[in-house]
Amino acid sequence: MEREQLIRTMESILGTEGVVHEREQLRSYECDGLMNYRVVPDLVVLPETAEHVQRIVRTCYEEGIPFVARGSGTGLSGGALPVESGLLIVMSRMRKILEVDIPNQRIVVEPGVINVWVSQEVADEGYYYAPDPASQVVSSIGGNLAENSGGVHCLKYGFTTNHVMGAEVVLADGSVVHIGGGKAPDAPGYELLGSFVGSEGTLGIATKITLRLSRKPESVRTLLAAFEDTEEAGGAVSGIIGGGIVPAAIEMMDALCIEAVETAVHPGFPQAGAILIVELDGPEAEVAKQFDQVIEVCEENNASEIRIAEDDAERALFWKGRKAAFAAMGRIANDYYVQDSVVPRTELGNVLKRISELGKEYEMRVANVFHAGDGNLHPLVLYDNDNPGEAEKAEELAGEIVLACLEHGGSLTGEHGIGVDKKKFMPKMFTDDDMNTMQLLRCAFDPHGLSNPGKIFPTPRLCGERPGPFHMHPIQQAGLAENF
Amino acid sequence: MDTRTENVSLEDLQKIVGEEHAREATDEDAVDGVMPQFVAEPGSVEETSELMKLANDGGLTVAPRGSGTKMGLGNPPRDLDLIVSTVRMNEIIEHVPGDQVVRVQAGVRLDDLQVQLATEDQMLAVEPPERGAGATIGGIVAANSSGPLRYRYGTIRDLIIGITVVLPDGTIAKAGGKVVKNVAGYDLGKLFTGSLGTLGIIATCNFRLHPRPEAGQTVAVELGDTLSAGQAAQAMVHAQLVASAVELHWSEDHKLLTVLIEGIPPGVEDQVETASYLLKGFGDVRTLSDEEVKYLGPLDPPRVGDEDVAIKIAHPPVELTGVLDSILGATERRGVTPRITGHAGTGITYVALSGGDEIARVQAVDELREIWVRRGGSVVVQKAPVQAKKMLEAWGPAGDYLGLTRRMKDKFDPRGILNPGRFVGGI
Amino acid sequence: MTEQDRPNPRQTGNRYDATQGTERRNDQAGTTREQAMAGAVGAGSPQDVGQDTFSATTESLQHTMGHDRPESGSYTFPAFDSHHPPEKDLIDDCVHCGFCLPTCPTYVLFGEEMDSPRGRIYLMNKGLTEEPMNDTMVRHWDLCLGCMACVTACPSGVQYDKLIEATRAQVERRYERRADDKAFREMIFQLFPYRKRLRLAAGPLRLYQRFGIGDKLKKAGVMSRLPARMRAMEALMPALQKEERIPEYTSPTGERRKRVGVLTGCVQQVFFSQVNSATIRVLAAEGCEVVAPKDQGCCGALSTHAGREEESLNFARKTIETFERENLDNVIVNAAGCGSTMKEYAYLLRDDPEYAERAKKFSSKVKDVSEFLQEIGTVAERHPLPLSAAYHDACHLAHQQGVRTQPRKTLKQIPGMEVREIKEAEVCCGSAGIYNMVEPEPAAELGERKAKNVLKTGAQMIVTSNPGCILQIQASLKKMGHDIPMAHPMEVLDASIRGEPVESLFR
Repeated sequence: MEREQLIRTMESILGTEGVVHEREQLRSYECDGLMNYRVVPDLVVLPETAEHVQRIVRTCYEEGIPFVARGSGTGLSGGALPVESGLLIVMSRMRKILEVDIPNQRIVVEPGVINVWVSQEVADEGYYYAPDPASQVVSSIGGNLAENSGGVHCLKYGFTTNHVMGAEVVLADGSVVHIGGGKAPDAPGYELLGSFVGSEGTLGIATKITLRLSRKPESVRTLLAAFEDTEEAGGAVSGIIGGGIVPAAIEMMDALCIEAVETAVHPGFPQAGAILIVELDGPEAEVAKQFDQVIEVCEENNASEIRIAEDDAERALFWKGRKAAFAAMGRIANDYYVQDSVVPRTELGNVLKRISELGKEYEMRVANVFHAGDGNLHPLVLYDNDNPGEAEKAEELAGEIVLACLEHGGSLTGEHGIGVDKKKFMPKMFTDDDMNTMQLLRCAFDPHGLSNPGKIFPTPRLCGERPGPFHMHPIQQAGLAENF
Repeated sequence: MDTRTENVSLEDLQKIVGEEHAREATDEDAVDGVMPQFVAEPGSVEETSELMKLANDGGLTVAPRGSGTKMGLGNPPRDLDLIVSTVRMNEIIEHVPGDQVVRVQAGVRLDDLQVQLATEDQMLAVEPPERGAGATIGGIVAANSSGPLRYRYGTIRDLIIGITVVLPDGTIAKAGGKVVKNVAGYDLGKLFTGSLGTLGIIATCNFRLHPRPEAGQTVAVELGDTLSAGQAAQAMVHAQLVASAVELHWSEDHKLLTVLIEGIPPGVEDQVETASYLLKGFGDVRTLSDEEVKYLGPLDPPRVGDEDVAIKIAHPPVELTGVLDSILGATERRGVTPRITGHAGTGITYVALSGGDEIARVQAVDELREIWVRRGGSVVVQKAPVQAKKMLEAWGPAGDYLGLTRRMKDKFDPRGILNPGRFVGGI
Repeated sequence: MTEQDRPNPRQTGNRYDATQGTERRNDQAGTTREQAMAGAVGAGSPQDVGQDTFSATTESLQHTMGHDRPESGSYTFPAFDSHHPPEKDLIDDCVHCGFCLPTCPTYVLFGEEMDSPRGRIYLMNKGLTEEPMNDTMVRHWDLCLGCMACVTACPSGVQYDKLIEATRAQVERRYERRADDKAFREMIFQLFPYRKRLRLAAGPLRLYQRFGIGDKLKKAGVMSRLPARMRAMEALMPALQKEERIPEYTSPTGERRKRVGVLTGCVQQVFFSQVNSATIRVLAAEGCEVVAPKDQGCCGALSTHAGREEESLNFARKTIETFERENLDNVIVNAAGCGSTMKEYAYLLRDDPEYAERAKKFSSKVKDVSEFLQEIGTVAERHPLPLSAAYHDACHLAHQQGVRTQPRKTLKQIPGMEVREIKEAEVCCGSAGIYNMVEPEPAAELGERKAKNVLKTGAQMIVTSNPGCILQIQASLKKMGHDIPMAHPMEVLDASIRGEPVESLFR
């Protein structure tokens, strides 16, 4: 289909106001939260209903046009990077909260609904939505689903996948399936929903999502402890977890990170080599006792200062400091490259040491902020794009850090996803057999690889199917994929 | 004699797993009356791979099996030549207490694993009823079986963080890892959870662990009617309690809603008091003795006679009263006696139907299925005589995802050798 | 389809009406929702997030796509020249995190990247070397209200205010608007900054509506664009009241604590002279000797925000000269837009060797009146005013000057006064300087959205610190068939200090 004709087709579905086709406008969509990769999409469409999505995707299927779904565009692995001569389907106009069902502890939303809206919607009922990625004020539920977003509280409460109960999904052939039980648990059949969540948009587009709501805990207590270095802070982490406590959150920031955050949002953090934010929640009596234990452990590990949040405002300030950490890097560096690797908690110390060595070796600054409880590291490699070669060097260093994490039994990504950014590392973590087996799943959902092609896997493969109206796959045409 | 098994001999199997680990099948090995030819017990992932390759090339149909506690689940197999038993793959590969993570082979029995984990005051937070009968990790994952603790910790799908599987063509593939937080690649661990051995054989699993609670106590309220059952469950669910389980026990002997509170002693005491206070309005409240707790559960719906039909109704949690009413209505009219237990907080209700004739039991299930599927739930047969199963179809209707489900099966098992016919939609 | 025509997206069951519960509780205490959020686990910072269902109409959506907009075909490449382009360094501060999106009024309306701060900055960057200045690029910059909610939301400290002002100055210099668009804008800038002309114009504008001139013009097929804008402008015009005379010098009550100047402004003085009188009485009551120079003119805010660089600098120079003469401790402003620009003079005049230093000194003295009162502390006695008021944050006060708590505190210091919060407080009402006149469709939708949120508070009156906001919200409420009294915080405080009854505010 010629571009002009495609524009007209899309306008017939969405009206002229739902199709973006001028070059300058399209350029604003050429990257998501990760600016290192840029591709101008052929066309951007903004559906307002599930039916719109279905008709758009159906057209793509019939014409063999690849498509990428995008929510708020905050992803940090290039998961919503457009594909050349492909469609970018932006879900930001599908942002209705469809149903609040407190008795069943469920909420049904459209994919463009912003994460924090969900908690706001049910706050007065004493409920909230547990997954709270740092981007929760802007990232969409649809995007959270695609990336299986975590957040600072996922150690105790789990990830998006543990809180999504059902989804209406438009598959790559334009058909609609309802997966997961929704309000009732344990739908018979394969765990299609569990497979879909975290698939980075490669299995289809969710158009309606049922989430589980959680009851707000009776008591929440938060403290901030300052340490001389990350090693001592790490000791405190081990002590807390080893003591049988499952904190709601346990976050660590190093000196460089503290500096950036302090400049950006002024949370009044102490000057220290490392700080921990520890939050406990649950029944009052339990929290009170365990909180004392946490303080003890921090003291045993030579905490230079322990601050206890006296009220919600102070607690919010601690978290504001933490959640602004990435964005705050703009204050101390022109550019940064963020990693998202994971190591077993017991390997934290070794890996941090290695990161610091690598930083010295490359003569680059690396700030560390991470979810200490689950070993999810976010080393931020700081650089200046204006200095020739620095970006490449930063990327190389970040790569070395990933490999170090893998060597210590970890994973490439804890919550940001593989996207385009880390797909080259996939073979370091998985064998060909592993990845080919994963592709089987892809082939069941999207036999022609139209949905967000070129993400996750280093060599996209097709599934060797040829239905009637289907033409040569553009990705294959371009030599970007081979038959599977 | 089946032509397929002419391609493969017992010797071929023995060559792979060793002479003493492959044998002709006996009556005990039959699945819903379908007799397999052989039973093989591989001792490693590699042996499993070779077995599968052999079976796939020779066109043998295969049923994976752990301790065999759930062989009654699903429809009777269309065909069965070989049972691949994981009982020898029973190694706890790695337990790192500091990481709260464990890696185990599929044949490890849950009870054995818990003993090992308890030495470090940790546990795998799943407690399915068939645990006591020696259920293995692989079987629990394959059947996605769950118990009362799912109220607090979720089901095994929420605890599995990595998996190694053997596909029908012998491919050994892994996904996930041994870290709790990980989004690299597709989540095959979840896909295989509840797949009932129709996609591949689960070889090893990695789980996240939880600390063992220091103390625990169960509060129970005597229920007068179905309305108070629903209301009491809602009261617990919407309270700020952190209960480990909210269970229903409903039979002629007792009508109870029980709430398991676990944690550290001061917290438990506090919460028991709160729970008792909140439940007071629904009937007499007491805390249960250890014996009573043991007697009550986790109550096993298949604690039933051979002729009984056991089903699992999944429903929106708030519908509990309606579910109970519908069960009582559907059974009473047909002279069938129900015994009901359930995870009242999460919307799972188990019913064992006894008495009456088989047709009556089947009709009662049909009626319940008609109601609860329409209301967004499902009714799955957990255990039933073969005759009843043939009338019932174990899973009930699958939704609009059935086509996708079939495609999944075709991709993973193109020759259809794994558990043919047992799964949803005759897969 | 209008908002009302849309099916209610929330199908709350009869068993449990969560939505109603929410609204009700919100009425009782405006901040319940926020407090509750903070109570959620590690709630973070939800305070700056707009939250509602999508509600832009097809008409305004088409607007952003460029339909029916005055396109000129003007094209220059690259978009910017070397005279103060949006600074590359400032652009580079943006790490593309997207935190600004949900607080941006146009993103809230349209849900499009290029109508978000992140998208606009992206386009600025492209304009430096890769893309031209043409209708498309200008359209999206034009649509920015300049409310600076994004500046508040940005964790990286991007100075979007400087970026958009630089961009707009370039647009005004390098982009040839279509004749009618240009004429309309020119008309605005020949009118609003000048009190005398404004006074003269206010009358005819009303006549315009009375005699249906717009309709006649439309029928005649001319000025296809102007009538919508004219109508928008007309709808905003309040009833002209008798202008109160402002004394040039006012002595303090009691001991003199400060000597301050007061900017009386253009729109403020013509339409809201009572606010100026109240401000001066309050300042005097608090021990200030007040000077309101007779020969003061426009501060240049409208021109600055629209990128009319030379014009704005001239206004700035003249304002500095006027107030410099009086040897003042502070220059007090009661209009948010004016205050933010006057605080910015130092930056605007940074290239002017004669004025750079003087501007710096001047800007450091500029204070919003509430900000100033909270700094010097109160001495005058407050009499009770049993009143519930919804406080509306003017963007140029809250986002650009960061003055949020001071006006609330000022109001709360009045015994009997209950200050209610408006949901989505951070989202602009659509007034935004001249925005509601040049971009009437999106402005109207934002106004309606704001009006609805205002109504939800159930407050007896609305208090806000900017004349533009008052005009806009009042017009929106009127369109929806509501009439709620509005006042400037100084009018309320003045009534309290003078011991006037509550009713005096409900004129």
